[in-house]
Parts: sequence; C-alpha cells; structure tokens
Amino acid sequence: MIVLGSTSEVAQAFVEKALQEGEKFEKIYLLTSSREASERFAKHIDVKFFQQSEIIEIDLTKEINYTKLEQISSNLLFCATGFLGEGSEEGLYDDKNTARIIEINYSKLVPLINFFAQKFESKRSGTIIGLSSVAGDRGRQSNFIYGSAKAAFTAYLSGLRNYLFEKKVHVMTVKPGFMDTKMTEGLPLNPALTATPKQAADCIYKAFKKQKNSIYVLPIWSVIMLIIRNIPEFIFKKLKL
Amino acid sequence: MKPNFVKKVTNWGNFPVVEKEMRSEDQYSKIKDFVLNHNEIIARGNGRCYGDSSLAESIFSTKKLNKFISFDRLNGIIECESGVLLSDVLEISVPQGYFLYVTPGTKFISVGGALASDVHGKNHHAEGCFSEYVIDFKLMNEKGEIITCSREENSDKFWATIGGMGLTGIILSVKFKLKNIESAYIRQESIKAENLDEIFRLFEESESWTYTVAWIDCLQKGKDLGRSIMMRGEHAFPHELPEKLKNNPLRLKKKFSPTVPFYFPGFALNSLTVKIFNYLYYKKQAKKEVKNFTDYDTFFYPLDFVNDWNKIYGKKGFIQYQMMIPKDKGREGMQRILETIANSGSGSFLAVLKLYGKENPEAYNSFPFEGYSLALDFKVDKNLKKLIGQLDSIVEEYNGKIYLTKDSMSRSSLTNYLKNVENPKFISLQHKRILNNNTI
Ligand SMILES: Cc1cc2nc3c(=O)[nH]c(=O)nc-3n(C[C@H](O)[C@H](O)[C@H](O)COP(=O)(O)OP(=O)(O)OC[C@H]3O[C@@H](n4cnc5c(N)ncnc54)[C@H](O)[C@@H]3O)c2cc1C
Repeated sequence: MIVLGSTSEVAQAFVEKALQEGEKFEKIYLLTSSREASERFAKHIDVKFFQQSEIIEIDLTKEINYTKLEQISSNLLFCATGFLGEGSEEGLYDDKNTARIIEINYSKLVPLINFFAQKFESKRSGTIIGLSSVAGDRGRQSNFIYGSAKAAFTAYLSGLRNYLFEKKVHVMTVKPGFMDTKMTEGLPLNPALTATPKQAADCIYKAFKKQKNSIYVLPIWSVIMLIIRNIPEFIFKKLKL
Repeated sequence: MKPNFVKKVTNWGNFPVVEKEMRSEDQYSKIKDFVLNHNEIIARGNGRCYGDSSLAESIFSTKKLNKFISFDRLNGIIECESGVLLSDVLEISVPQGYFLYVTPGTKFISVGGALASDVHGKNHHAEGCFSEYVIDFKLMNEKGEIITCSREENSDKFWATIGGMGLTGIILSVKFKLKNIESAYIRQESIKAENLDEIFRLFEESESWTYTVAWIDCLQKGKDLGRSIMMRGEHAFPHELPEKLKNNPLRLKKKFSPTVPFYFPGFALNSLTVKIFNYLYYKKQAKKEVKNFTDYDTFFYPLDFVNDWNKIYGKKGFIQYQMMIPKDKGREGMQRILETIANSGSGSFLAVLKLYGKENPEAYNSFPFEGYSLALDFKVDKNLKKLIGQLDSIVEEYNGKIYLTKDSMSRSSLTNYLKNVENPKFISLQHKRILNNNTI
C-alpha cells in the first residue's frame, strides 16, 4: 500500500482499519513531508500489526525526485494529501498561500498520482483512493481557492476513473465533509456533521471493498451538498457561506 | 472561522462542567510551544477521573499521543505514548499472552492517566499499584524540556509524578512491564456474605487470591448491614478451561456493547430504583457460592459493557466517593460509613469494598495504604454536600484518605496529601480548590 500524506489522521486510521480487517501488505510506503510524525506511525503499526513500512520523504511544493519512487510496488494507493491554507479573507491576495493551495491539492499532486497510475495500468490491477472535498462541489466565499483546487481534483479523479476502467484499475473519490482532525481543531463544528478519522476510515474501507466510485463520508453530506449545488446562482451569490 | 479551542469539558461524573481551552498536539515542538505560552496547564487523558483533577484554565489533551513505540515480546515490556488507552494495550497484548499487571475497573483510561493517578486494581494486596511495573517515562516539564524519569534517572521527578495528578508536567510516554498469562479467562468464585462480619472474614481468608473485591448493597441496615458479594479470581490455565474454550484460550469473541443514548431524567434514579437494583443484584446469585470461568472483560470491566453508563445519573452528574481507612479500624469505620449512608437514604448503585496491602513507601503520592477502601457513586443533588461532610468527618476521625482521582468535594484535610509537586505552570482546578480549602 502506498500512502500519500501519511501524517493525515484519516490515512492512518484507514491503514489501521485495513490491517485490522486482515488485509496483507508486503510493505506500506509512507510518503510524507514530515519524517518525525510518520516514524511514529511506522513504529506504531509495527508494534500493533507486525507491519513493515518504509518512509519516503517528498515535498509537493518542491521538485519531486521520482527515482526514489521507482522501486515501489503495490496495488493500493491512498491519497490524503491536502492543504487548507488561509481562507479567502486573509489568503486571497496572498500569492504564496494561493500557490501552495493549488500545488498541494492539485497541480503537483496530479503528476505524482499519474506516476503510480501508470504503474497500476501496466499491471492491469489496483485501486486509487483520493480524498477530495465537499468544498469542491461549489465555490463558496469562505474557502474557494481551496475549493477550486479540490473541484479540479474531483474532476481529475472522475476522468481518471473513466480512463482506467478498461485497464482494470479502480478509482474512488471520497468527499469527507467536516472532520475532527488537525485541520479543523478548535473550530466550532457541528458534531452531527463531523466525522472522526476512525468513522471516516471505516466508511472508506467499506466503500473500497464494494468498489464504490464516489462517496460522502457521512450520508447527511450528500443531502446538504445536493441542496447547496442546486441553489440558484442569483440567490447563492448573496449568501454568507 | 478562527479556532479558539474553548470547549465544554467534564469528566466521567459529568460534574463539574467547565468551559476552558483544550488543545491536543502530537509533535513535541508544538507541545513545548503550548507549555511555554500558557499558564495553569493540566494534562488530560481520557477524562475517566470523576471530578476536576484533569480540568484547568488550559487543558492539554493527550488524545493525539496515541501511538505505540515498542513491544519487547520476549520480556513483555511495552512502550507507548501517554494517550494510548489500556484497552489498546490489551488488544495487542492478550493474544500474545500478556496482561496488565494492574488495571482499574475500566479499560478506557490512558496510560498517562494510569501513571498520574497511580491506579490500583483488585490485586493491590498482592501486586501493588500501576507504578510497580513502570520502568521509565518521559515527562515534559515547565520549561518544555523532555526528561526521562526512572528509579535511577531523575528519580525525584519519577516518584513525584507517580500519583502526582499531572502537577509535575505532561507525561509523554511510558515504558512498563506486562504479566504473562496463558488464557484470556479468569477462574472466578463469587460468595454471598450476609453482613459485615462475614465479608471482612472473607477478605482475610482470601488473601492468597490474586484478585479480590466485594460489592455491597449499601441500603441494608441492622443485622443485614454489609450484605455483599465477594468476587475472587485467578488467571486461568488452558488445561483448567471448559472444552469449548481450550482451543483458542487467548482469543475472545467480539461482544456487542449497548450505548446509553441520552442523559436520563433526574427522577429516574431515586432511592427506590437503587433499592430494586441492589436487591436484584444480590438475589441474582441464588447459591451461596458460585465457581465458574469468565473472560477478562467481564471480570475486570463489567461496567465497560454499557458505553456511557454515566449518563444514567442525569445531567446534574454524580460523584464517586472513594475513601480509605487503616486496616485495624477498617471494620469499625466501614460500619459507621455504611450506617450513615443507609440513614441518609441516598443509595448508591455501586459500592465497592476492597482490602489493600502494604503501600510502597517510595511512591509517596499514591493513594492506597494498608486498609479497607469503599467506593460509592452518588447522584449530585441538594442533599449530597451534607452527606459528604458527614462521611468526611468519619474518614478524618480514622485517619483515612480520599482518592484524588475521584474527589470533587471532600474537605482538603483529606485530600491535601501530595508532596513535591508545587509548580508554577501545572495546576488543576482540583489542586487550586484544595489549596484554597474550597468546596465546589
Ligand atoms: C468506571 C471506572 C472505574 C474505575 N476504577 C478504578 C479502579 O479500580 N482503580 C483506580 O485506581 N481507578 C479507577 N478509576 C479511575 C481511573 O482509573 C483514573 O481516574 C485514571 O487516572 C483515569 O485516566 P484518564 O486517562 O481518563 O485520565 P484523566 O481522567 O483525563 O486524568 C486523571 C489524572 O491524570 C492526569 N493525567 C492524565 N494524563 C496525563 C499525562 N499524560 N501527563 C500528566 N498527567 C496526566 C490528569 O491531570 C488527572 O490529574 C475508575 C474510573 C472509572 C470511570
């Protein structure tokens, strides 16, 4: 298994869930920009599941050295990289912030996924799970740079799914909604709309086994987003969302 | 939306409820920043203490310090971060033939919380407190430095932190020993006792058993005072087990745990319902003596079977009153405590009596000493303070003590026993209350 963004709590919870369910991986490749945090996780799964792993440092905001990734062999890719950045008010006119959001959530990420997609394609097997966001379903004033990058990522995953279908590789899009993670710590989130990483992982794992195409983590979000997507633009633009 | 981290926080008794800043980090550099930039900090594990000991102006939650570090399977030595729960430890250790040396009556507490309260179990008389099996731990002090503490290294901090209720700093990780077991089952005997004399005799007789505890029906008066059931147990060997358990003695089947869905209305728990509960509990066991095998979950953690059972006490919450009286006066003291409770009519669902062995004189902040302890749950209501005052007076008369991790309103003469912990950075609402001689 390959994990992009292996410090993500959802990614870690997913790895644990898969191992608990008895999935076997020769090795888990933890791709990360933070060695310290991934090392903690690597030791943890070794103690808990006798699971071997390898940490590979990559930084999406820098040039990626693909030779480090050549030897990786797996047929499951879990992509949880993401960067929320500063919301529109503070971040909109800060070019660095904007660039980072677009790089990490989309422009630098896509070639990296393509690299693995090609490997999967040539073996004619594998699953790619990508964490996108409900923020990509419709641009809202509070986080539309992030949302636009996620919208692009959602479109990419959908196209990739279509492209790889014939090649026996499955692509699954996950739109988590609010989650109780580092990204949202300290924010006053409605508990009924917020999933814990463990809940998210359980739900993603189930959908993975059923080869679902696109899922919301909590079912309530499909209803919320259905409504949000269908508000007429002339009303939507006046809303403070 | 800017994060402000202010949250409603409360512990297992749902009393008191406070709104304070609570943060959780998993990187040491960020924890250090938190420590340096805040005052009046306390660490909080899984909030399974009953009162205000893990509440403060700024709370550091160890929720994210939830990773295992190493497991020496040959010698049964495990190291993990402080937020790892005992249930997580058991999940990996039991199938490999290891159990916790010391476990409290719930497995949903953190390793950090076990150390900070120096918890005890049903085997205190035989195996002591949690700290006996701790090899070393890492502590972040008020300067944000990480120090390793063991019996040899920084031993003053080692002993002050054990039972020190988080007042010496934030425990980051703990390395401790596990005990060998050959099955996940307990050979158990439950014996009914008609009254106090009989249960005290049973305790004295059972000293060679590793695990002993008694459940008391504390509404009984007169000749029935102290009516109770003694439970004693040993880790079972595979050859003793019934046939159907022999094949896979270290694995338990997954059980279903119901959840209490909401706070019960205040009137649901009154002296009548408690009376009925206690009556049924005692009568459930028809025979004087029952011998059987039970899995470790049922034996050690019967209460964990119902998630969120604390909600049955209603929104106002409840307290647990756990006191301890020296052994020679145990029988007399308990009689007076039980009489006072029976006369007050404020029943307790759960009254647990336990005989403790000798204390470890080095672990000077630990609660237990050689004697008897009784733990009782009481719903918070207008009569409670008066009753606690009466009980406190009796405990004081017998030179007893109150368990800090359960305390929320006892008088400070019974709770002000920690030494070597004064620290400008780390102070809990509980410690402040005790120092100011206040009750909530
Ligand atoms: C149903 C039930 C049964 C129980 N039975 C028993 C029993 O049989 N024996 C017994 O001894 N106890 C018992 N307890 C009490 C429980 O074991 C203790 O309160 C334990 O400390 C709770 O651990 P926690 O992780 O929830 O910590 P918390 O409740 O969050 O904190 C408890 C104390 O530990 C400190 N602390 C927690 N983590 C750290 C850390 N990382 N660094 C520094 N300080 C820290 C806090 O500051 C606080 O003072 C029981 C509790 C319940 C709810």
